[in-house]
Amino acid sequence: MTVTITTMAVAVLLCAPFAAGCWSLLIRTSRQLHLVNLGSMGLLVAAEILIARTVLTQGAVTAFDEMVYIDALSSMILFIIGIVGLACSLYMRSYMDEQVARGTVAPNRLNLFFFLFHMFLLAMVLATVANSLGVQWVAIEATTLATTFLIAFWRRRESLEAGWKYLILCSVGISLALFGVVLMYYSSLRVLGDVSSALNITQLQAIATQLDAHILKLAFVFLFVGYGTKVGLVPMHSWLPDAYAEAPAPVAAMLAGVLETVAVYAILRSRGIVDQAVSPEFSGSLLALFGLVSFSIAALFLLLQHNYKRMLAYSSIEHMGLAMVGFGVGGPIGIFGGLFHLVNHAFAKSLAFFAAGNIHQRYKTVEIGEVHGVASVMPGSALALLVAGLALAALPPFALFASEMQIVTALGTSGLPGGWGSRGVSGSILLLLLCSLVAFAALLYRITGMVWGAAPAAVTRGEPWSTGHLSLVLLGLLLVGLCWVLPSPLRQLLDMASALLGGG
Amino acid sequence: MPWLTPHVGAQLVDLGSVMLLLTCFAIVAQRRLSACVDLFALQSVFLAMTATLVAFLTGTRHIYIAAALTVAVKGFVIPRVLRRVIERLNVTRELVMNVNVPASLLICGALVMTAFFITRPIISFGHLLTRNSLAIALAIVLIGFFTMIARQKAVTQLIAFLVMENGLFLGATAATYGMPLIVELGVFFDVLVAALIAGIYTNRLQDAFDSVDTSRLSELKE
Repeated sequence: MTVTITTMAVAVLLCAPFAAGCWSLLIRTSRQLHLVNLGSMGLLVAAEILIARTVLTQGAVTAFDEMVYIDALSSMILFIIGIVGLACSLYMRSYMDEQVARGTVAPNRLNLFFFLFHMFLLAMVLATVANSLGVQWVAIEATTLATTFLIAFWRRRESLEAGWKYLILCSVGISLALFGVVLMYYSSLRVLGDVSSALNITQLQAIATQLDAHILKLAFVFLFVGYGTKVGLVPMHSWLPDAYAEAPAPVAAMLAGVLETVAVYAILRSRGIVDQAVSPEFSGSLLALFGLVSFSIAALFLLLQHNYKRMLAYSSIEHMGLAMVGFGVGGPIGIFGGLFHLVNHAFAKSLAFFAAGNIHQRYKTVEIGEVHGVASVMPGSALALLVAGLALAALPPFALFASEMQIVTALGTSGLPGGWGSRGVSGSILLLLLCSLVAFAALLYRITGMVWGAAPAAVTRGEPWSTGHLSLVLLGLLLVGLCWVLPSPLRQLLDMASALLGGG
Repeated sequence: MPWLTPHVGAQLVDLGSVMLLLTCFAIVAQRRLSACVDLFALQSVFLAMTATLVAFLTGTRHIYIAAALTVAVKGFVIPRVLRRVIERLNVTRELVMNVNVPASLLICGALVMTAFFITRPIISFGHLLTRNSLAIALAIVLIGFFTMIARQKAVTQLIAFLVMENGLFLGATAATYGMPLIVELGVFFDVLVAALIAGIYTNRLQDAFDSVDTSRLSELKE
């Protein structure tokens, strides 16, 4: 019985965004669009909760003739997609209506926006639950295609430029990942013979130890570079600040909160297979190296930013780099820390983008130097920005501090993978601490400067309550809540997921 | 056909792959945008022929479907879209190149050697039929990648992306006799949509910037 309920939940998971997307093209009023949107998000979250419960009690779930495979890791990613997506839908209720009221968007283009938004969601869900690595690739490429017009939605010169860069860089990057998938298939066919299920995660995991190490190494390098472009790891990151700064706020929140996480998930999935055939040192050193470079470069770039959306974008690169260091170093603490970091970063970054969107609407500028006194102009958004900013700066009570410490501890105890020796380890710890200090100071300085001070006289004061504020409350409470308690289902999910990744 | 022994078959598949590689070089050396599109269409037809040959020699049915789709999508639909895009543009040639033609060709030659070098450890595991094709596929992917960096017009960059996809498809056909059908269909869908979207973009870039020269895209800077 439970099996059928789970299967139904999986069907809902995939059908809800698809149906809502198609439906959005047919309806006229914005009220109906938002209703459909919220309804489908509600269904999505409900289905995710059902699936997570099954996964917690019975372990991994497969459905539809093994086309769908969900284990603790994927249901953790689904959880992030659900929460951030729900918050985003609530936020769009006020944000998009305001844009329409101002005439930035023609009301008849709203349909297209919602259609693309739902297709984006669908592609991400598909990438997370697909059993076949090939289907996962197709879904991740589909996220690029769905979001490029969302990024360029304002149709200004800058946003067209950002959208084009994003489309080209990510498509090219991800083509390299397809080569990795082909190689993966090549290696598994040699063991399994000619079967079409040879790309399935379940099959690959079963025969992983017999796969050829040479081919897998090559495959992983291609997969890592390909999906790493999507994560925004340095040096494949140049599209990311442009895209995040030009995209409408809800889209930026989804890109930063969820899409990056899904791309990391894709890397972790193939890593889980590669590590069984090749020594984990190989993939670990790759992850840790790129992670360290991304972290330190992004922290330095944080100092130079004068546009608050770009600043948040660089902070994304920084946090993803740190999570990569955690995964690369491995061990129970490192992997748990990395996963927990992903969860917290998703919530904090989308909250920050929501607040930034509100501020942008009111102040009509993205220059940090021209925004002062948000606290007196719009207290709700100011509080949200402050909470998100402090969390992103990894100030102690926030969970991002805890996960950052876990990652540094893991680095100290297990050392860097590959032959780096103790000097390399102490050097990298020093680098991590120094750069996180730089990032901390930069974020805190900029954000306090925005929140306090004298507001420009031209800006209207007061912030009437709207549906959009529900999303700020939801994410803010989650972030603050995670400072003190880690609810036991979530903890169990994280434990199971990190055990799957070899952090047993 | 009695004369079509596995040995001859392997030679023919190699020939097909080499034709693909040659069209790559021709695209790199070509300045006229419309000629680049024609070359890409030609390359796609070569790809379909090679794939059909592999399908025939190995009896793998679903490669026929993929080959037919290649001719339809990459041989006709996408080139048509691209020609339409070019008609609207005010430039028909790559005027300024980041890397000039002779240097580009030399670099591409080096890339081919690199590709053979990278795949050498794994190539010996391959099927007899398609042993060299995997290396050639990687070479095509790398050349596409390089063209993307070396050329500035949005259309050329798009063609380079499509060339990369052709290389990947050759790799999949050569190394594994095709991916599972569902994956192949998904990849075709993605490529088609990507080409359409990029076509729309070039129109909008033309309207907004009066140019499809991507070096003009410099509003966004640190």
